[in-house]
Amino acid sequence: MTTLERRYRWLLRAYPKGYRADHGDEFVDVLLDSAKPAQALPAPREAFALIVGGIRTRIVAAAQGPAWTDGLHNGIVALAVLNLAVLIPYAGSIRLWLALSAAALVLILRGHVRPALPVAGIVAVKMTAITMGSPWLDAMLLPVFPDAWWAGPPLYGHGGPIAPLASNVLLVGGLLVLAARRDGPRARSWWWLAAVPLLAGSDPAWLDIAAGSPTAMARVCLEVVLLLGAALAGHLTADSRWAIAASVYLVPAIAVLYENIESIEHLTRQDIAHTTLLVVLVLAAAVVPFRARRRILL
Amino acid sequence: MSKGSSGLSEQSYFVLAALLHGPLHGHAIIKKVVGLSEGRITLPVGTLYGALDRLAANGVIMIEREEIVNGRKRRYFRITEEGDRLVRAEAQRMQQAAAVVMGRPSLGATFA
Repeated sequence: MTTLERRYRWLLRAYPKGYRADHGDEFVDVLLDSAKPAQALPAPREAFALIVGGIRTRIVAAAQGPAWTDGLHNGIVALAVLNLAVLIPYAGSIRLWLALSAAALVLILRGHVRPALPVAGIVAVKMTAITMGSPWLDAMLLPVFPDAWWAGPPLYGHGGPIAPLASNVLLVGGLLVLAARRDGPRARSWWWLAAVPLLAGSDPAWLDIAAGSPTAMARVCLEVVLLLGAALAGHLTADSRWAIAASVYLVPAIAVLYENIESIEHLTRQDIAHTTLLVVLVLAAAVVPFRARRRILL
Repeated sequence: MSKGSSGLSEQSYFVLAALLHGPLHGHAIIKKVVGLSEGRITLPVGTLYGALDRLAANGVIMIEREEIVNGRKRRYFRITEEGDRLVRAEAQRMQQAAAVVMGRPSLGATFA
């Protein structure tokens, strides 16, 4: 195998494994036929097209099965990621609940919705109790302060209970719906776990955007990237599953605004802009598949 | 990427035009498109196979046969009747659009 072939094969990893197994050799054949003599580096144009083509193929391959259940599962995974990330600064005080939240996320992520249901349910009850200032299920000193190396308010010290409750009701309700179906959702990528440390310390129950903390900014950046990705996927596939997932994620964000609308003095331009941005991106993700369906792009 | 009223991109248009001459494999399509577009369009491999996947998924082209060359699979693609109709309709549309401009004297001729 030449150096050029090895490098092209590395770039082909942008494509899904099955697609690569079926067509990888054919791609390499054409790429090598198109190469100049003694060429050792992939042409930048070819490299770019392989990466874009690989991402596109992955998106198209992901649009399998019923859109609404897949979208619902995707949205629930996003909520479970955020719910776990919120707890990380308080790990020292709530080890059991952090572990259960992590277990729920892994079970949901891998498509094991029935075993995930009691785990996510009990975590939801406990988190609701904390937002309401009641030590249900186990003895716990409230409020729960962050560990020494984390700065910040107590767990749900500023926000709640409506937004966290909305998130948990949606999560558990969604799991119930998925568990009632004979065919369970597919396992999703472990890459979702990479979002947990990025979002650690986020407080989605509170208007924390104006503070401009690195955590809040990381969350906004990740939200924008994922929601733009949802719109792009909807455009490429004319499929609404990503819009459904985005809508599920949007509900708790709207609940935060609703919950704080009375204490209007706490609402800042940044918070309103953040919620507006989320709504606009979710609407874009919702509209794009319908436009794409009207006109097949070849 | 410019698109006609049929939703056909320029690249896909030339891929279909290349296949009007008979079934071709990937590398032959790239060379044919370069020739038909007089060197204006050189399809990168990732772009070509993305277009071929979309065209095949929409029934505009199909796989004619597979051959093993140097131990590697090589697919030959063929345009379908629907693809033939689509590319000819697009060509006619572009011809009509071009006639709107080409049939009028240029500004230079007007003011001469």
